[in-house]
Amino acid sequence: MIIENTKLAFKAMIGSKLRTLLSLLGIVIGVASVVTILTLGQSIQTNITKSISSAGPDLITFSPRSYSKSISMFTEKYASNIKALSPDIETVMAIDQGNSTIRVGQQNDSTTVYGVPSDYSNNLAMTFSSGEFFNLTQSITSRQVVVLGSNVATGLFPTGNAVGQNVMLYRGTQGKPYKVVGVVEDKDAIFSLNFNYSVFIPYSTYQSRFSKSSYVHSYIIKVTDQNNTLGVSNTVENYFNTKIGKDYFRIISPTTVAKMATSVTSTLSSFLAAIAAISLLVGGIGIMNIMLVSVSERTKEIGIRKALGAAPSVIRGQFICESLVITLIGGLIGVAIGLIASYAFSVSMGTTFVISTFSIILSMGFSMLIGLFFGWYPALKASKLDPIEALNYE
Amino acid sequence: MDTIIKIDRASRFYNVGDITVKALENISLEIKKGEFTSIMGPSGSGKSTLMNLIGCLDSPSDGNIYIDGQPTFNMDEEDLAYLRNNKVGFIFQQFNLLSKLTALENVITPLLYSDVKKKDRVILAKEALRKVGLEDRMYHRPNEMSGGQKQRVAIARAIVTNPSIILADEPTGALDSKTGKQIMEVFWHLHEEGRTIIVVTHDIELGNQCLRQIHIKDGHLVEDKK
Ligand SMILES: Nc1ncnc2c1ncn2[C@@H]1O[C@H](COP(=O)(O)OP(=O)(O)OP(=O)(O)O)[C@@H](O)[C@H]1O
Ligand SMILES: [Mg+2]
Repeated sequence: MIIENTKLAFKAMIGSKLRTLLSLLGIVIGVASVVTILTLGQSIQTNITKSISSAGPDLITFSPRSYSKSISMFTEKYASNIKALSPDIETVMAIDQGNSTIRVGQQNDSTTVYGVPSDYSNNLAMTFSSGEFFNLTQSITSRQVVVLGSNVATGLFPTGNAVGQNVMLYRGTQGKPYKVVGVVEDKDAIFSLNFNYSVFIPYSTYQSRFSKSSYVHSYIIKVTDQNNTLGVSNTVENYFNTKIGKDYFRIISPTTVAKMATSVTSTLSSFLAAIAAISLLVGGIGIMNIMLVSVSERTKEIGIRKALGAAPSVIRGQFICESLVITLIGGLIGVAIGLIASYAFSVSMGTTFVISTFSIILSMGFSMLIGLFFGWYPALKASKLDPIEALNYE
Repeated sequence: MDTIIKIDRASRFYNVGDITVKALENISLEIKKGEFTSIMGPSGSGKSTLMNLIGCLDSPSDGNIYIDGQPTFNMDEEDLAYLRNNKVGFIFQQFNLLSKLTALENVITPLLYSDVKKKDRVILAKEALRKVGLEDRMYHRPNEMSGGQKQRVAIARAIVTNPSIILADEPTGALDSKTGKQIMEVFWHLHEEGRTIIVVTHDIELGNQCLRQIHIKDGHLVEDKK
């Protein structure tokens, strides 16, 4: 019976393609939205988790705002004051940064220069494709040495062999030669720190060559155990809230990043969820409408079938099946569109695309449920038609 | 012989606004198994109403109808559908074929509602089409067939479930007299198979050929001749 009903449903649909397609629009949009929400949500979640784990879940960045009245207290030495805030802090590194032009012969590139301590590479688990990070001696003696991010290195030295070469780093129009001591292996960005496009020099060198002031750009706090990241982050935040005011610094930790990303995702999700809910409702009404039209157009057919011995339950089944087939097709189109849309989204947002099987099953199930719910009344109406009236219907 | 249809003081009234139309009033009638009966009467006399009552497409306002000794007044729609499917085959003046289906699919339709197994359906439908001489038109749709051919498909559809009662409401009404005679031939064959046949007709000649003639007028039985 189900096979026959499905065949009948297809016959009825092919007879009125455009009309069916139009009334499917709501279901299509609704399902597409559901798939997009969930697929996108899952993609973003996967990416957040990935970036948190690659960032080292044990790092917190504390950056005083340059317009803070208390900015002058944030010097390299102040790192030890921050470390004293909690026993769960393993180390605090003072960091400075700025934009610069880097040059070898005729090759130019703009890059971000980071002034960092020599234990920076260890703390951030950096690895090197060639050479190594500058050491403590080079650091405290303010040597003009530089470690290149992988893209910077390939841009300036397409043939490799960067280590041992000199590059020019410019502050304004003034350039100074720096000796390349290492090239960082490809590394995913942490927070806003894009390793591959950055270069690293000793903090003291940065202070004397690039920075006019003695205060830092930010501190990177490394906690002893990643379970304490949130606790330390809160401690530091509370401390500076009272000390300098909450508007004068920024704290970035994996948890705050995750919170931010989640809030973006959830805004997007609730927006799409609203669209989904509305279009599924509209879609359901569309289905009901087309089914009512279908029933009234086929009144005669229903009369004939009843005369031939179709019981009301059979007629009901036929129309519910038809409604299910329609919504199933709408659902399939919606899934396809949803997947394409979320693929496009994830490409444009630079996140990895993850297909959410759950979303497909859920939205298909949901559209079938709508077919069942909104197909019920028309089917019931068909099954209750008086056989003789239906037969005499012109 | 056994009584297959018993109508016991049945009436069918329609309420149209304040007026009550008495389409049939107090009809009592018995039809035996295997009888070939015609129902005649002027237009509006209640012939179709009577056929619909016998075929359980409609229920009497008053009185009872028994099919094969079974009272139908206490049956629900599902039971009545089952009864129509198993015991009754309908043939209409306007053929009432399903226009999107082929002849074969039309004939299979009643079997979809029966207990017949899937693999037997096509066999039975082809057999029914062969009986009405249409085995070479199986895959034609109604709009590709003549009136006489359509009516044959309708007959095949009516007999495919092997019903004991065949009800034909003006089966020749939309056909020319030659084709009408051919259709009546088919009914005679069915009669020879032992089926109970009731034909409503305006054609006095065709009606008088039937073994029993019932005349109704204004909803009343006026003559019952064997
Ligand atoms: N649904 C209805 N509502 C009101 N009156 C009806 C209805 N159906 C039939 N009638 C009336 O019942 C009477 C009998 O109708 P019926 O169709 O049985 O006549 P008939 O003998 O078959 O006529 P014809 O030869 O023209 O087909 C008519 O007066 C008709 O107007
Ligand atoms: Mg009539």
